[in-house]
Amino acid sequence: MSLAPLVETKGMSWFADAYTIGAYATPDSRYFVCNFGDGTVRILDLTAAADGFKVIEVHKGSAMCLSPDMVKGAFLSGGDDGKLVKIDVDGATEVVADLGRKWVEHVTATETGYRAYASGKDVFIQGKKKGDEPRKVTHASSVGGLAINPKGRRLAVSHYDSVSLWWLATKDGQAQALPWKGSHLQVTWSPDGDYVVSTMQENSLHGWRLSDGQHFRMEGYGAKIRALSFVKRGQFLATGGADTVICWPFTGGGPMGKAPQEFGGMMNGPPVTCVAAHPKMDVIAAGFENGKVIVGQPGSPRVMPIAEPFTDKENSAVSVLAWTPDGDRLLAGTENGDVHVVDFRAIS
Amino acid sequence: MSAQIPVTVLTGYLGAGKTTLLNRVLSEDHGKKFAVIVNEFGEIGIDSDLVVGADEEVFEMNNGCICCTVRGDLIRIIGGLLKRKGKFDAILVETTGLADPAPVAQTFFADEDVKKRTKLDSVLTVVDAKHVLQRLADSPEAKDQIAFADILLLNKTDAVSADELAKVEQKLGALNPFARIHKTERCNIAIDKILDQGSFDLSRILDIKPHFLPKEKHGHDHDHKHDHHDHDHHHGHDHGADEHYHDEDMDSISLSTDKPLNPAKFNDWINDVLASKGQTILRSKGILNLADAENRYVFQAVHMMSEGAFAGPWPAKDSRKSRMVFIGRDLDFEALKAGFKACEIA
Repeated sequence: MSLAPLVETKGMSWFADAYTIGAYATPDSRYFVCNFGDGTVRILDLTAAADGFKVIEVHKGSAMCLSPDMVKGAFLSGGDDGKLVKIDVDGATEVVADLGRKWVEHVTATETGYRAYASGKDVFIQGKKKGDEPRKVTHASSVGGLAINPKGRRLAVSHYDSVSLWWLATKDGQAQALPWKGSHLQVTWSPDGDYVVSTMQENSLHGWRLSDGQHFRMEGYGAKIRALSFVKRGQFLATGGADTVICWPFTGGGPMGKAPQEFGGMMNGPPVTCVAAHPKMDVIAAGFENGKVIVGQPGSPRVMPIAEPFTDKENSAVSVLAWTPDGDRLLAGTENGDVHVVDFRAIS
Repeated sequence: MSAQIPVTVLTGYLGAGKTTLLNRVLSEDHGKKFAVIVNEFGEIGIDSDLVVGADEEVFEMNNGCICCTVRGDLIRIIGGLLKRKGKFDAILVETTGLADPAPVAQTFFADEDVKKRTKLDSVLTVVDAKHVLQRLADSPEAKDQIAFADILLLNKTDAVSADELAKVEQKLGALNPFARIHKTERCNIAIDKILDQGSFDLSRILDIKPHFLPKEKHGHDHDHKHDHHDHDHHHGHDHGADEHYHDEDMDSISLSTDKPLNPAKFNDWINDVLASKGQTILRSKGILNLADAENRYVFQAVHMMSEGAFAGPWPAKDSRKSRMVFIGRDLDFEALKAGFKACEIA
C-alpha cells in the first residue's frame, strides 16, 4: 500500500520554525489558532488558507498551553512570561492574568463560564462574572494537567499521588481526591463524565470510575504517554506511548479485564506522540515521533496516510493534532515547527 | 537542536559561593547562552534572562527501586525550557544548600524525555574552605554533596592558612577520591574547567585516579585509613593498592586488579552489590578489563541506577588495569574487595 499522503494532494504545509504547543479550531470551523515555542499565536483563516498564518507576538518567551476560552470563538494562551492572554480570531489580545516570573503551564475553559489555569502547584479558577477574583487552590505538588468534565462543572487536576476534583462553582469547597501513588501527568474525562483517566510517569494509564470509585490501570507502553483522546461517543480511549495507536474499550463497564485494540504504526517503530479523535466519526488521527501522521480506526488494518515522516529533520515529533468541529479539516503541528492542514471534504 | 543539551548541577551549602559562581559563569564572555534553574526566586541577583525557579519536588519512581527518587519539578521545567528552540546552549541547575544531589542526578537517567534531550555533564559542589570542616561535622547534607560531586570547587582559599587548606583538601580527597578539586578565591575559575566535562559520558571516562592521600597526613582521631595491598601480584606504584577511607559515616573505596575479569561474574556481582547496597552507595564508577574484550568497559552508577558500555580502546600506555571506586555509607570494604577479586578469571 503506497497511498500518497493526503497532505500532498489535499493539504498545505508551512514551517513555523518553532515548537507547536497547541492548536484549536473555532466553533464555526473557519479558523485554526495555534501557539508556538517562540511566543507567537498564529491564526489561519481556512477561507483564505493560501495567505498563510497571521502571526501575533504574544509571549516574551515560549507559549506553554492553549485552550478555547469560556467565550465562544476566543482562545487563551499561557506562556513562560507568566501571562495568560485572551486572543480573538481578528488578532485582538488581552492579558487576563499575569503571574510575574511564574509559568502559566496549563489552561482550560468551559462554555459554562469558567477558566482554570495552573502554575506550579497552584490552580486558579475564574468565573465569567466581571471583577471576580480567581479562586486559587494549591496542591501538594506540581500540577501535571487540567480537564473540565463534559458538563462543565468539575475540574480534574492531576499531580503527584492523586487527581483532585474541584467543583468549579463553589468558592470554598475542598477537592475530592482520587488517590493513586505516583506522578500523574495529563488527565481527561470520558464523554459521559463517569471516568477520569490520567497518564503516569511510569508509562502507564490510571483510571477511576466515579460511579463506584473503582480503579483501573493500563500498562505495557514503551514510552511516556503524551496523548490521549476519547472518541466522540466514548466507546474508545485512544492513546499514544506505544508503536501503534492503543485504543481501550470503554463500553460495558470500562476497560477492566479487556484487551485494547490497535491500529497504525510498525512493530518497534517510532512511538505515537499525539492522538485526536474525529469530532463526529469514530476515527482517530495519530501522529508519530518521526513526524508521520495517519488517520485510522480501532481494530482496522486500513489507515490513511496524512503526512510522511521527515527523514532529514530532527525533533519532528508530532506535538499537536486538531480537527475542525465539522470534521472536514485536520491540523498537525510538530516540535520543530512543521504545520500541515489537510482537507477531507473531497474524499469523504 | 538535535544534540543533547549539557546540564551542570551546582550544589554547595549556603554561603559557599554558588551564586557567585553562577554569576561568573553567566557574565563571562564565552558566547554561550545558559538557562538557569534556581532554587529560590527573586531574592538572588542572577544575571540572566532565562532564570526559572524550581520547587525541589522529590518523588519516588514506581519501579520497585526505593532509592530511585527523581525531581518532578526538573522534569517539568526542562520539558518547558526545551520548547524554546535554540535559545540556549546549556542548562545550569542550582540546588538549595540542603539538597540531596542524588534525585537531581537520577532525573537525567530515569526520565526518558529528559534523558533524550539533555545530558548530565557534571555535579559541581562549591565548598567554602573556611567552614567546610565544621559543616562536615554538623551537616550530613554537606557530606553527601561533597561525596557525590564530580568537581569540587574549593572556594575562599584566601580565608584560610596554607596548612588549613592542605588539611581541607586532604579531607575532600578522602571523602571523594574521584572528584577533581579546583582551588579558587572568589569562584574565579575558567569555565572550560567546570563546564563540558562529560563526567557522566562513558566514552570520556578514561581514567579513575583516586587521590587517596598518605596515611601519615591524617589528623582526625576518628579517621582511619587502611592500605590493603593485594599480594597476589605486583604493582609498580601505589596506584594499584586497594584502599578504603572511612569517616564517621562516609566510606570511599578504591579497588583495582591487573587480572582480566570474567564478564558474567562481574555483571552478576555488580548487579547484586547495587541491588542489595545501592541505597547506601552514593556513586560508583569502574573502568574494567573484561576477559577477551579488546576495549575498556566503563561502568557508572548513581545509587542503584547504573549504566555500562564498552568505550573504546585502552590508552596505549595503560596496563589494562581494572579499577572501581565506591562512595557511600557503611560500605563493607572487605566484602567488596573479595567480591571484586572473585570476578578475576581463574
